[in-house]
Amino acid sequence: MGNHAVSWGARLSRVEVISAYPITPQTQVVEELSEMCADGRLDARFIKVESEHSAMAACIGASAAGARAFTATSSQGLALMHEMLHWAANGRHPVVMANINRAMGPGWNIWTDQSDSLSQRDTGWVQLYCETNQEVLDTTILGFKLAETLDLPVMLVLDAFYLSHTAEPVDVPDQEMVDAFLPPRQARYKLDVRDPRAFGALVKPDAYMEMRWQLQEAMLRAPAVLEEIEAEWAQRCGRRYGAVEPYRTEGAELLLVTSGTVTSTARFVVDQLREGGEAVGLIKVKMFRPFPTEALRAAVAGAARVAVLDRNLSPGRGGIFAEELRAALYAGNGFRRPEVFGYVVGLGGRDVTPEVIQELVRRTWRAKGPEREDLWVGLNL
Amino acid sequence: MTQVRFAGRVPEQELMTSGHLACPGCAAPLAMRLVLKALGPNTIVVMPASCWSIIAGPWPQSSLRVPLYHTAFETGAATASGIRAALDVRGESDTTVMVWAGDGGTFDIGIQALSGAAELNEDILYVCYDNEAYMNTGIQRSSATPWGAWTTTTPEDHPEASPKKDMLAIMAAHRIPYLATATVAYPLDLIEKVHKAHAVRGTRFLHILSPCPPGWKYADEETIQLARMAVGCRVFPLVEVEAGRSWRVTFDPPPEPVGPYLHKQGRFRHLTEQHEVYIQREVDARWEMIQQRVRESGGAPSDWEPAAGIDVGPDARQSGPSSQSSTAETAEEAASHPSNR
Amino acid sequence: MAVSSTSTLVSKTGSWKYIRPIYQDRVAPCNEACPVGIDVEGYLNLLREDRLDEACELLVRENPMPAITGRVCHHPCELSCNRRQFDEAVSVHAIERVLGDRVLEMSVERPHPTSCASVGIVGSGPAGLACAYHAARLGYAVTVFEAAPEPGGMLRAGIPEYRLPRAVLDKQIAWLRAHGITIQCGARVGTDIPWWSLLGAFDAVFLAIGAQESKALGVPGEKLAGVESGLDFLKQVNAGARPSLGQRAVIVGGGNTAMDCARTALRLGAEATVLYRRTRAEMPAIPEEIDEAEREGVRFVFLAAPIRLLSSDGRVTGIECQRMELGAPDASGRRAPVPVKGARFSLPADTVFSAIGESVQLESLPAEIERISSGLLTGEYQETTRAAVFAGGDMVQQPRTVADALGAGKRAAIGIDQYLRLISGRPLEGPGTDALRYGRSGNLSITRWRGDDPVARTSPVNEVLRYEDLNIHHFVHAPRRADGRLEVAESRRGFGEVNLGLSGDAALEEARRCFNCGVCNRCDLCLVFCPDAAISRADGGYEVAMEYCKGCGVCAEECPRGAIVMTREGL
Repeated sequence: MGNHAVSWGARLSRVEVISAYPITPQTQVVEELSEMCADGRLDARFIKVESEHSAMAACIGASAAGARAFTATSSQGLALMHEMLHWAANGRHPVVMANINRAMGPGWNIWTDQSDSLSQRDTGWVQLYCETNQEVLDTTILGFKLAETLDLPVMLVLDAFYLSHTAEPVDVPDQEMVDAFLPPRQARYKLDVRDPRAFGALVKPDAYMEMRWQLQEAMLRAPAVLEEIEAEWAQRCGRRYGAVEPYRTEGAELLLVTSGTVTSTARFVVDQLREGGEAVGLIKVKMFRPFPTEALRAAVAGAARVAVLDRNLSPGRGGIFAEELRAALYAGNGFRRPEVFGYVVGLGGRDVTPEVIQELVRRTWRAKGPEREDLWVGLNL
Repeated sequence: MTQVRFAGRVPEQELMTSGHLACPGCAAPLAMRLVLKALGPNTIVVMPASCWSIIAGPWPQSSLRVPLYHTAFETGAATASGIRAALDVRGESDTTVMVWAGDGGTFDIGIQALSGAAELNEDILYVCYDNEAYMNTGIQRSSATPWGAWTTTTPEDHPEASPKKDMLAIMAAHRIPYLATATVAYPLDLIEKVHKAHAVRGTRFLHILSPCPPGWKYADEETIQLARMAVGCRVFPLVEVEAGRSWRVTFDPPPEPVGPYLHKQGRFRHLTEQHEVYIQREVDARWEMIQQRVRESGGAPSDWEPAAGIDVGPDARQSGPSSQSSTAETAEEAASHPSNR
Repeated sequence: MAVSSTSTLVSKTGSWKYIRPIYQDRVAPCNEACPVGIDVEGYLNLLREDRLDEACELLVRENPMPAITGRVCHHPCELSCNRRQFDEAVSVHAIERVLGDRVLEMSVERPHPTSCASVGIVGSGPAGLACAYHAARLGYAVTVFEAAPEPGGMLRAGIPEYRLPRAVLDKQIAWLRAHGITIQCGARVGTDIPWWSLLGAFDAVFLAIGAQESKALGVPGEKLAGVESGLDFLKQVNAGARPSLGQRAVIVGGGNTAMDCARTALRLGAEATVLYRRTRAEMPAIPEEIDEAEREGVRFVFLAAPIRLLSSDGRVTGIECQRMELGAPDASGRRAPVPVKGARFSLPADTVFSAIGESVQLESLPAEIERISSGLLTGEYQETTRAAVFAGGDMVQQPRTVADALGAGKRAAIGIDQYLRLISGRPLEGPGTDALRYGRSGNLSITRWRGDDPVARTSPVNEVLRYEDLNIHHFVHAPRRADGRLEVAESRRGFGEVNLGLSGDAALEEARRCFNCGVCNRCDLCLVFCPDAAISRADGGYEVAMEYCKGCGVCAEECPRGAIVMTREGL
């Protein structure tokens, strides 16, 4: 299952400190890791903290002391961690965390929804969205390498139940290969009695901006670094994903933009429509933070209309991927600006079937323009 | 011994530098200085938000000659457990991980993480320096503020109405290997307690009373005097507890009434005689409770062992008083002037 | 990430302060109270570190005969000791005695002569010997003239052996002689040696002839057999005589002479009764001496004065006494005795001693030396109205104690040094009298005069440290060690020393009870309590890093002995 793909990825990455708190649908991630620690498959310390906020604090502590730290959570737990997500990023701690996308309550909802991870988009974490269990396992390992190269925390995101609890065949890389790809962490700065320093003391207005500039610079290097890392990964095992993956976009007049498991369904629909002669293509967004502005501008260049599928909501605004895409297309020169249709779909785990996607493609073709910024699909009102 | 002499009895190495930003006469830097002297340089300090976050100096300065991690307010114990795990992974289990938190970060916002770590018996030394209010943010009440005290959120017309949270009892209930109260007026007692804490593994908790001139409203130079009076009138007894069951009073001076202690502080100036009578009663009752615990302890601490036959795995730390050698001697020691040791 | 690269030592928080601490030696009350002018606190501080020889050296800088004062001094130092208000005074006399006895075992380095001037001293009692000692140490040639066959003055004549053993006195005199002091005995100035020859032979002269003439009782029957001067009686016994006193001896008087007579009488087999016109509280004798007398069995009759002596066959048989009561205070500040009309009684007596005071014989002195009603007119340094002539001791001043005499001898030595330098054209810009004095009312320090104080002082001021300036929380109660004593039965049997003092170890332990008022003794409390770690050890004391010290005042407040004060000076 997807959750175990995370665990296996973490094990192969030889994480050293794990600190986590259980929440549906993340539990199998940490249960599997517990067993691995208990039977010796994984030589790591597992701290059974009393809350997610403490879980992130413990990961930060471990990372500050030079260890490779990992945690996993979802929805309410991620929200509780919010303060410490900022702390990890400003502190430049390369913690890797798996977030199982789950809806925010109340009412309680354990099914997939991207609002939890996207609510944290300003905290300074790299966000990588996964479509398959293979991608999940690979991204866990890639995540550590990315994190430790840039000294940035990395969040890998997978859909609740559709990925977390769904079993798929996965090619598990050799430990030897992973060791060669991802050597033990060499922290640039760490808590060390041989070189005593203070970390995170008061920074006044005359220096805080520079710190944030450094953080931003690191973020903006992420796409290039990811490409390098993926190139090496592809060399070793033949797989790569890209910050952005265009699918059958040649000559497309209408492009779907998706992330997560909706992408798989969208691929199926694109194949169908292409067969029917429609000039439709798909862009999968893997890297949401930093936002892959250049890549997306290039990817959407040919199309007249773009339909963004957002399994999330920023109340008062609309779908977040759509909003960010619009912002990316607003500035700059020398590229074509398609019409952006932002569709809000599948909140709280509501199924996004091929029929749903086909219907919104039709709507997109037919409409003069988007009647509003957020176009809700499938509401029963 | 007829007089107190510290020459040759206090470790000489200074691990805290001058130039820190504490108010003149503040007990908090003195407490840190003494604790670090007792622990030595093989120490990493985790510091959630409190006065010390400022006292330590702004970036790029640090007042400590040991590594220091500034962390968010409620995360002291959690961050420390992460550091502990990382050190253990690289085989540096001898390095002490010490949380240095105020009363806010311990009694209130930090109590959850502290309880979580203590329940797991994480191998950390947790030190709470208690100035009895949120002093760093301008003297607002905390659950450590004593009954009747003025603070900015418990003004004189409506002073603090809750008794001080009994952190000693709470931590004792966690049955951690070692916990003790101490204060800056008795450095030798404090240092000895740090040494005892250092000699065992697991969660160790030290509660240090830290008088605050602006918050308690008294003259700078009387900090030591106030700490001494707090102990003398039993408002802050000097106690140690092992494994949650073995209680011992480490200094039992001839009792003084609470009045002079209260009168010395502006934060109590609005109290009436009736209030003082009430406070005296409560202090006496708590002292009696402690004495009761001491009597029940009967001297020797209990031995905490995991139940036989259950393998608790690699996460279990060597903990409990069975791993310490000092208790047998100290159980025999008569209560005497702490500076006599 | 915000990672530190420097310490807070770059942050000079010293700019915050508006007051600062200074280590300032103040005067311990014992030093001020001592009539000799000894740095008592100083040698007790050295004893804390077991530095016995240095303690002895410091002591003998000011006191030429600690083995004697440790035994007979009335120790006002102990009455002023701040520790009295905490538990009990330090037993300074017992410690001084141990040091004094040790001094007598130490070799003497004869002082180098520093001038050709010579000093002549009349009288080898404590005043004369002290002046001789200090003058010799200042480099002068000193000769002492003593009328009696042996030196010592009142020390030999008036103080019984059970208080001051002969062996100790002789050893002390020998020790003093080893300083190059010449003592000529059997030489009475005024008769054997004319005054003019004395004044001609020496560049400066110190008169210390004491007060040797017992005051008469002034009642009928004074010339009867069996009625004697108490002082003459003591002289005889101290010279070896053991007269028979009959069954009952009555001693009239309340001072130390009276106590000595009474206890001596017991040892000669008589019952001793002391007759005193006021009450015990007004007795001028040292309280311990009164206690000892009582312990040995001396009876006391208070509020009674003799009216006449009763006799039979020209021999005294008793005293008729007037009952007295206390009225208004007199010139001495004590309530004057007033007869109770019609109340009289008689006491049987085989011997009666008068011990009501002594007067000075000034008749033989040159007329140009001005007298006043109480004796000679003398100034701060014991100078008389005649240039080059100084006088001190019992002949000049009250109270008449060994310690006061020693103090006067020292003052005279300083005065003589000033005078001789002046006339030889090498005047010394030495410290003024106030600077030499301990506190406001103490005696002068000759060490300060010499300017070679071996004790490192930090900004010393001449203020006495009061009990309120101490921080007594850093002291722990500990009882004072009591002197060993002979049992009463044994002490009455003869003239062996009754007070056995303390052992060497006990004396060192007792010295550790000293608070060291006003003078730093490096306890490290300031260093440990400083919240800014701004105090460090330096140069035998401490140093405050002023660039960091915030002036909080904790160090000054906690210093157990008040050796730190907060000041605005220098800011």
